[in-house]
Amino acid sequence: MRKLILFLLILASFSSCKKYLDVNESPNNPVAVTPGVLLTNTTVGIAFANANDLNRATSLIMQHIAGTASQAADYDKYKLEGYFDNQWNLELYNGVINNLVKIIDEHGAENSIYKGIAKLQKAYAISMLTDLWGEVPYSQAGYGLKFLTPRFESQQDIYLGNTAEGIQSLFDLVREGIADLDKTPNVLKPGKDDIVYGGEVDKWKRMGNTLLLKFALQISNRNPALAKTIIDDVITANNFINSNSLDFEVPFGGSVGNQNPLYSFNNVNRTTDQMLSTRMLALSRSLNDTVRLAKYFTKVNGAFVAYQNGNTVSAPTAANRSKYNTFVTGSSGEAPVRMLTFAQVNFILAESALMLGTAGDANTYYQAGIKANMTKVGMTTTEIDTYFADNPTVVTLTGSQENMLNQIITQKYISWIGNGIEAFNDYRRTGYPVLTLPLNAAGHNPTVVPTRLTYPSGELQRNPNTPNPITRTDVKVWWAK
Amino acid sequence: MLLCGMLFLYGQLLAQSKTISGKLIDDKGNPVPNASITVKGTSLGTTSKEDGTYSLSIPANSKILVFSAIGMAEQEITIGDRNTIMVTLSNQLNTLQEVVVTSLGITRDKRSLGYATQNLKADQFVDRGQVNVVSALQGKVAGVNITNASGGAGSSVNINIRGISSFTGSNQPLFVIDGVPISNEVDRTNGGPLGTLGDNQPPNRAMDIDLNNIESINILKGPAASVLYGSRAAAGAIIITTKKGSGQKGRAEIIVSSNESFQRATGLPEVQNEYGQGSNGVYSNTTTNSWGPKFGSTPTVANGLIQDGQTIAYNPYPNNIKNFFETGIISDNNFTINGGDAKQNYTFSAGYLYQKGILPNTSVKRASVKFGANTVLRDKIKLGGSVTFMNTLQDGVLGGNGQSALGVVHGMPRSIDLQAYKRDKTWKNPDGSNNYGVASVENPYFGAYENPLKSSLYRIIGIANVGYDITSWLNINYRLGVDAYTDRRKQLFAVGSGRVPAGQTLDNPIYRSEVNGDLIITAKKNDLFKDVNFTGLLGQNINQRRFQSVQIQGDNLSVPNFYNISGALTLTSGSQETSTLQRLVGYYAQASFDYKNYLFLELTGRADQSSTLPTDKNLYFYPSVAAGFVFTDAFEIQSDVISYGKIRASAARVGRDADPYLLKSVYVKSSYGNNVANFNFPLSYTPAGAFGPTTVAGFGASTRLAPETPLEPEFTTSYEVGLNASLFKNLITIDVAVFDQVSKNQIINVGLAPSTGYSNVTANVGKMTNKGIEALVTIVPVNTRDLRWEVSANYTRIRNKVVSITPDITSFPIPGSAFTGSIPTIKEGSPYGVIVGGLITKTDDGQRIINPATGTFQSTVANQILADPNPDYQMGFTSNLKVKNFSVAFTFDFIKGGQILSFTAAAYKSRGALKETANGRDEPHILPGVIADPNNPGKYLPNNIQIPAQTYWQALGGLQSEFNVYDATTFRMRDISIGYDLPRSLMDKMKISSARISVFANNVFFIAPNAFFDPQVNTQGAGNIRGLDLQSVPNARTIGAGLKVSL
Repeated sequence: MRKLILFLLILASFSSCKKYLDVNESPNNPVAVTPGVLLTNTTVGIAFANANDLNRATSLIMQHIAGTASQAADYDKYKLEGYFDNQWNLELYNGVINNLVKIIDEHGAENSIYKGIAKLQKAYAISMLTDLWGEVPYSQAGYGLKFLTPRFESQQDIYLGNTAEGIQSLFDLVREGIADLDKTPNVLKPGKDDIVYGGEVDKWKRMGNTLLLKFALQISNRNPALAKTIIDDVITANNFINSNSLDFEVPFGGSVGNQNPLYSFNNVNRTTDQMLSTRMLALSRSLNDTVRLAKYFTKVNGAFVAYQNGNTVSAPTAANRSKYNTFVTGSSGEAPVRMLTFAQVNFILAESALMLGTAGDANTYYQAGIKANMTKVGMTTTEIDTYFADNPTVVTLTGSQENMLNQIITQKYISWIGNGIEAFNDYRRTGYPVLTLPLNAAGHNPTVVPTRLTYPSGELQRNPNTPNPITRTDVKVWWAK
Repeated sequence: MLLCGMLFLYGQLLAQSKTISGKLIDDKGNPVPNASITVKGTSLGTTSKEDGTYSLSIPANSKILVFSAIGMAEQEITIGDRNTIMVTLSNQLNTLQEVVVTSLGITRDKRSLGYATQNLKADQFVDRGQVNVVSALQGKVAGVNITNASGGAGSSVNINIRGISSFTGSNQPLFVIDGVPISNEVDRTNGGPLGTLGDNQPPNRAMDIDLNNIESINILKGPAASVLYGSRAAAGAIIITTKKGSGQKGRAEIIVSSNESFQRATGLPEVQNEYGQGSNGVYSNTTTNSWGPKFGSTPTVANGLIQDGQTIAYNPYPNNIKNFFETGIISDNNFTINGGDAKQNYTFSAGYLYQKGILPNTSVKRASVKFGANTVLRDKIKLGGSVTFMNTLQDGVLGGNGQSALGVVHGMPRSIDLQAYKRDKTWKNPDGSNNYGVASVENPYFGAYENPLKSSLYRIIGIANVGYDITSWLNINYRLGVDAYTDRRKQLFAVGSGRVPAGQTLDNPIYRSEVNGDLIITAKKNDLFKDVNFTGLLGQNINQRRFQSVQIQGDNLSVPNFYNISGALTLTSGSQETSTLQRLVGYYAQASFDYKNYLFLELTGRADQSSTLPTDKNLYFYPSVAAGFVFTDAFEIQSDVISYGKIRASAARVGRDADPYLLKSVYVKSSYGNNVANFNFPLSYTPAGAFGPTTVAGFGASTRLAPETPLEPEFTTSYEVGLNASLFKNLITIDVAVFDQVSKNQIINVGLAPSTGYSNVTANVGKMTNKGIEALVTIVPVNTRDLRWEVSANYTRIRNKVVSITPDITSFPIPGSAFTGSIPTIKEGSPYGVIVGGLITKTDDGQRIINPATGTFQSTVANQILADPNPDYQMGFTSNLKVKNFSVAFTFDFIKGGQILSFTAAAYKSRGALKETANGRDEPHILPGVIADPNNPGKYLPNNIQIPAQTYWQALGGLQSEFNVYDATTFRMRDISIGYDLPRSLMDKMKISSARISVFANNVFFIAPNAFFDPQVNTQGAGNIRGLDLQSVPNARTIGAGLKVSL
């Protein structure tokens, strides 16, 4: 009898456990979300990646600024190895690319507009990766366990596609994205969660077409004919960014944790790491362009205080140096991160008219580009007109094709203060503006300006497809001059 | 089967005809309960009751009764025609007959165990100035590795028994008090923008236990020993037994004890005091380095000592680092009353410990009150329980490299009068901003006084026990244990602080609770078969663990010095909540057989059902078998050489479940960046043309993916053989164990290539082995009434190897690794936790290659093993000498090998503060290495490139450089305690039963032949990351005195 009771007791305790043990649903994290919260994430992620460490490294290499301490001082001297794990891992592949894949694959079938925007963003993010590192994972990236060791694909294949390998060209990815914007169904439509264009599909189409312009120009050294065709097509269709208000830029907030990384780095956390470059200041002075420079950089007691790139002497204190002004950072970190601009469009069209013979007058675009940027940075119409009147040789393309190209890229270079990545792209494509090596240059090759970044150690450690030994920083990327 | 056996026994009790009764007492007159009384040569018998009385019906022709009890010498008594037999059993002198408390609070004769345990009595660790029960075990236990995080007040202590067996799970043993598992977790508060680096050093929660309440500690080492505790004790168990009132013969004993001690930091590197702040021989107040001009140099504009026409004050402050560390105080007071007798007893104790830390503005205050009582009703029902209430307050200072107080102090400029800031309270300017002798660097006192982390923990441990003797051989017992605490933490960053200039307040309440219910049915029967005694046990365990950590982070403090969330402008940056709930139901059974008291066999099985595993595969079973054979008894060896010898062997398997919530992939609120720039959703921004802000959420896929195939438990299989022996008339006793463990099926988050879009995936993978030898030798050269001297030595040697991870993955970082460049790693073919980083490029014959252009090292090769923190072996040596009323006890330990990567060492070198950096400061230096022979490609010449001292030392002082990896071999006098028991004659006059005064010291001195600092620190404290000194708090030496009076 006792035996039986005991047995029943044990039996009872077994059967009641099932419910008792059913407590493994996490109260901390959702298992499903809407595409809208993913899109805000990827949008901010792209901008953050664009304005954080990658921006610092390229702005230092491009000598908009000079490094005075810590990593910034290293980048300034071309010491690039061993960095960028966070950018590659946590900003781009683990923050942007994987979530864009989620939007496209898991939400795309029901939500075409989200899918279209995601494809445009993906094209932009992948172009950032390949432009900076050359061969990078693309077709197999961001799919989790589906591809455990994503293939590194050549920059040529990424831009132009490779059917045999199943690689879609970035151009086709953009075209598909634009096409998706007009498709149905759309169970959910972007609105407030589209922090760039507020869900206005037409503006995304302009962004997409502008991407085509940028990509086409990027590959123009390797395939000028294709570049010309694409640019002419976009000009004909006439649906690209055609005013400063349509710029592809991502807004940030003014409170802690919401700020543009350019602000949190330069104005809050690392106030003594970098400042205006002596070379940037000299260029600006040589072009009589310091009114505009003052929009980009602060003055100390009415004067610019700059630092020589690569120098090791004591730098002025944070309060006594010229650093990014509110146009770049915002007064409390609310400045947007600017990625595709109307000024850029004009400079693209100027360069392609000059170099590829696309439609339009190079000089007209050139001047429109300067004006668009001057307006954007906050110069008054009077200031702009005065500058144009006083400096006719600067604002007019003259001389040889090379000289005119130098003029275009130099102006574009000034317009990119705050976005070193694009300035670095233009430099590697054209060789302009002409840079002088920093003092104490080091790194893989202290005798040339680096032409790419080095692969981060995390990918090297865990992906056997990573080129090993890692490609040196003096090896040119495919589209470079 | 067990039940069938019980039934069989029941039948045996039927043929009886005469009743014998009586009482058993011990040497001191205390009743002896649970003693066995049997009729010799038969299976008839009974056990004595709680009050020592017994009554047994026997056949009329019975001749001899055998009386035996655990820990007592067996006695045979001829019955004759007596009806009443009173017996005095004497306590066994042989230490190998000791009684130990094993799993589930079961007391066992150590003789019968088939596995290794080591028991420590209170006098082996109290009165040594220890605060944390784990550090009290240091140097005393074979097979156990214990490392302090630091000498900081309340810092945690890491303990691993028989090595590390889980890749990413907890490898800390289970802590059990009076049969109830309690939490020994280390809860970290995210160091705000400093992340994991900025944490203070929180305690392992066993620190809440008042050492004064502990009677003994038994360490269950292998899975065979702890299998009844199941998954929870996969890494061994620390069984703590607290003091009870049961031995008081009805009178109340009052014990008052007080220990007062002082602490000083030890192991600080020697510094130079010839050169002050500056770079390249020029004074500069923007550098943290001491590469400036020599003290006494004529001030010039060129050497920077004249600036703007003013001569700069420039003098050495030789003790500016040393004096940052203050004299710590530990005041430990306890009041205890024990009373009652074996049947009805109670204990009450109140303790208060105050510790002022060696860092400014740090302290620990620990109060605990305990009440416990036991009673027996109607001789059959035992009721008992205890409640312990604890309140532990910790005031800490953020550590870590970077702008923490410690990151700044270590190797600070020799010419800064640091203590003046404290003396004059000038670490901040009148406007509240930081004021320090290095521009843009936070004053260490600012960090200590303005950016504290405070913790206030309330904890309650309740234990309730009900037992019922159904028959003389069958007992049913239920034990309920609850351990719950709330730790309210608050971390502040003042407005104007270095890392968080806008100020921050972080409220972080942490709640943990653990409930355990154990139903245990035991059956005991002597002479189950001829000469075979049997003990059987059936049990069920219900376990529930809850955790909640709420973090409310307020940034941008609008009113300086007002640290309330209402004063913050941004509340969303780091605010979050994490809650977990996990449950486990376990069923266990054990059968122990004892043949003629010399052959022992124990079979144990446990099945666990865990909520953290897939519902249809959440039940897992694991068995163990252990055997002991006392060959000296079996072969009746009676020799002066060997008086006792036992060989033992065990094989066991133990399963370990997963952490909660690993079975699904989830989304997380997004954030980007790190301490230089960061972004957290939600985003509140003002759209172009809009008047007010819009707020949007952002989520992303968690970087961890759910397992592809259903998750299974981890398993560790262990084989152990051992020997216990008593030699030369008990002069020497030996306990040796050899073990071999294999841990498989590890549940880990396997690292993925970042381009997959994810960081890791949860999976069962990998295999790790631990092989080891542990030995304990005790010698009692003298043992007389007035003089007893016992020395013992222990030895531990463990070899750990990560055999495999997955076919694709051969290494991945231990979670919590903070720095790229020096990553504690699980690497195939290497021992667990090697630190992987960059090694300087070397020639084929191992010479470092120097860059001819710079004279410094060429470059580093990434992903190399930089350091291996696992020691070769360790030894402990203890001595206890008692001469009349005096006693002297001390402990030495020796740890051979193991390496530490020291950011501290790097700081002293690269900042030019280390004593050696002044040697030949103005002469050219040459780094050890070779340069490529320009005339002979592929050949190398000895380096002859002269570089300045600063360049030289900075080349050697890279944070993650191989030059800052040190051999951690350390010989240490761990503790010493000298006591005097006041003579009884005096006691009687004063009407007190005993009084003892003692003086003691802890961490008395150390010799680390290969390091210029104390290499036995571990900045990240208890956990799986070892071998990193991240500009740590140094260890501390404690010296004190104590008084203990019993009334």
